[in-house]
Amino acid sequence: MPTLVQALSAVETVNSVSLRYQYGPIFMTVGFALIIAGAVFALATFLGPKNPTPEKLLPYESGSPTTGAKHVRLSVKFYLTALLFVIFDIEAVFLYPWASLYQSLGWAGFVEMIAFLTMLTIGLVYCWKKGALEWET
Amino acid sequence: MKDMLLYLLPIVILAVGGFSLMLVDAFQKEEGGLAIPTAMLHFASGAACLALWNYAGSPADLARAASAFNGWLAFDRTTLFLDLIIALGGGLASLLAGSYLNEHKLERGEFYTLITFASAGCMMLAGATDLIMVFIGLETMSLGVYAMTAFRRTNARSQEGALKYFLLGSFAAALLLYGSALLYGMTGHTDLAGIRAALAAPLDVPGLAAQEGGALALSVQQTVRDRVVILAMVLVIAGLAFKIGAVPFHMWVPDAYEGAPTPATAYMAVTVKAAAFGAMLRVLVGVFGDTTGAASLAGGWPGLLAWLAVASMVIGNLVALSQSSIKRMLAYSSIAHGGYILAAFVVTPRAELLPGGEGTVGQSAAASVLFYLLAYAVSNIGAFGALMLAGSRGKEAVSYDDVAGLGKRHPAVALALSFFILSLAGIPPMVGFFAKYNVIRSALEANYTWLAIALMVNSAIGVYYYLRVLVKMYMHDPAPGATRAEPMVSPGIWLTLIFTAVLVLVMGAMPQTFFGYALEAVKLAVAPVAAAATP
Repeated sequence: MPTLVQALSAVETVNSVSLRYQYGPIFMTVGFALIIAGAVFALATFLGPKNPTPEKLLPYESGSPTTGAKHVRLSVKFYLTALLFVIFDIEAVFLYPWASLYQSLGWAGFVEMIAFLTMLTIGLVYCWKKGALEWET
Repeated sequence: MKDMLLYLLPIVILAVGGFSLMLVDAFQKEEGGLAIPTAMLHFASGAACLALWNYAGSPADLARAASAFNGWLAFDRTTLFLDLIIALGGGLASLLAGSYLNEHKLERGEFYTLITFASAGCMMLAGATDLIMVFIGLETMSLGVYAMTAFRRTNARSQEGALKYFLLGSFAAALLLYGSALLYGMTGHTDLAGIRAALAAPLDVPGLAAQEGGALALSVQQTVRDRVVILAMVLVIAGLAFKIGAVPFHMWVPDAYEGAPTPATAYMAVTVKAAAFGAMLRVLVGVFGDTTGAASLAGGWPGLLAWLAVASMVIGNLVALSQSSIKRMLAYSSIAHGGYILAAFVVTPRAELLPGGEGTVGQSAAASVLFYLLAYAVSNIGAFGALMLAGSRGKEAVSYDDVAGLGKRHPAVALALSFFILSLAGIPPMVGFFAKYNVIRSALEANYTWLAIALMVNSAIGVYYYLRVLVKMYMHDPAPGATRAEPMVSPGIWLTLIFTAVLVLVMGAMPQTFFGYALEAVKLAVAPVAAAATP
C-alpha cells in the first residue's frame, strides 16, 4: 500500500494523469472565490460603521414600508402551473436534438418520439379534463 | 424489436394500462369503478410473466434477450418471478383499495393510475441491469408510492408520513445516484456487466507503465480506484437498503406505513421490497458477487449486510413489542422481515456446491430470498386486508384496544386476521414458517450459525407481539365506552382474503414445489456469478 508521500510524488512525476494537474485551475478558482467573498464580508463586518435603527432592520421591500406577514400562503395553482411548465419544457428539450438528428435516426427514432409525444399528450388531455389548466375555479 | 416487446410484455401491459386508466378517469362522469380494471391489469401482467417463463429457460434465451435489450434490462426467470410477486401484490392491493377507499370516502381515480405506474416502475427496478435503469425504475416506483402515502389528504399523519418518506427517499436516491456516479467514474460503465468486467481486470492506463515512475502511479491509481469502488458500493447499498427499510435506514417506515391508506401500506410493504431486493441481487451479486477472486476488495458486503440484517431483526422486533397500534406493529414487523430476508441475502455469493442436490449454496440462498418475498407478499396482503376489513369509516381497527373482543363480536373477521397474523409469525402449517425455515437452512449451509441463531431468537420474540393480537381479540373484552372497531361489509376484501388464504395454505402444504420454482428462477441468473467465482 503506497503512502501518501509516495502517492503525491508519483502524481508529480506523471502529471499527465494526475487529478491535481487536471483540476488544479478549478480548485484555485474555488479557493479565490471563497477568499474574496469571505474577505468582503469580513471587512464589512469589522470596518463598516454600525448604526442600527428599527427601520434599517426591517426586510427591504423596494423602499416602501413593509406590510403583512413574512410568510404568504401561495395558491397551489402556481405550483401546478410550474409543474406543467417543467414537463412541457422537458418535452421541448427532448424534441430539439431529435429534430436536428431526424434524418439519421430513421424510423426507429420517429416511432420512439411519437410514443413519447403520445404519452405526453395523454397527460395533457388528463390535465385539461381534470381542470388543471383552469385558472379561475 | 419484436423480441423486445415480447420480453417487455409485463411492463408494457401495466404502462399502457396505466395511460388507459388515466384517460378513463379523465372522461368518466363519476369517480370510482377503477379497482377491478386495475387488478385485472396486474393479473394480466402476472399471467404474461407465467407465459414468458419458458422463454427464459436456457442460456441461449437469456443471451438473445440481453442482446435485444442491449444490457439495459435482464429478461430471466428471476425477473419474471419478482415481476409475478409485484403483479400479485399490486393486483391484490388494488382489489383491497376498491373497497377501502370507497368506505373511507377517499375514492379517486388517481390512486389506481399511481399504483399501476408504480408497479411498472417496480418491474423495471427488478429487472434493471444498468445503473441508470435502476435509478429510473426506483424513481418511477417511489414517486407513485409517495403520492399514495399522502392519499388521505385531510389526515395530518398521512401528510407527515408522506413528507418524511419523500424527503428521506429523495436523499436515499441521491446516495444511490452518487454511488452510481462514482462507479461510472471508476470504470467508465453504467451497465452492471461492464462494471464487473472492468473491476475484474487490473487498472491499466495505456502508455503509463512505460513512463518514468509510471508503475508507482499506476499502483496509486489502483489503490484509489479500489477505495472509491468500496465507497460507491456502500452508497448503493445504503440507497437500496432505504427502500427495503433495513435498520439504520428505517426511520420513515413506521410513519409512512401508519399514515398511508391501508391498501397503499400493504402495497409498499410487498412490492417495493420485492423490487429493491431484486435490484440488490443484481447489483451486489451481479457486480460484487465474486467475493474471493481478484476484485475481492469490495467483497466485504456480505458481512456488512449480516449486520444490517441482525440490526433490522433486533430493532424491528423489539420496537414492535411496545407498539399500541397494530398498523405500526406491522410496520416494525416488516422491518424485521426485511432483516430475515437480508440474512438469506448474505449467503447469496457463496459458490460451494450443495452436498446432495444440484446447484450452489448461493443459489439456494437466492431462492430462499425469492421464496420469502412471495410468502411475505401473500401473508402480508392478507394481514393488512383483514385489518382493514375489521374496521369501517369512523370505527377503524388501528390499535390493539380497537380489536378487543372482536373474536366474540365478529368471529369470521377475527379468524381471518388471526390466520394471516399466524402466517407472519411463522407458525408451521402456514407458508411463513417454511419461508423462515429456508432462510435458516441457507444460513446454516454457509456456516453462518450465529446468524441462524439470531434469526431463531428473533422469530421467537416476534411470536409474542403477533399472538398479542389474538389474545386481545379472543380473550379480552373492550373497555366500557371505548371505541371499538366495526367490520365493514365488503365482498371484494373477502374475495382477496380467501385468495391469499388459499395461497398461504397451498404454499405451506407444498413448500418444496414452490421453493423448486424459486430455485429454477435463480438458477440461470445467479449461476454465472457462482461459476466465475469457483476457479
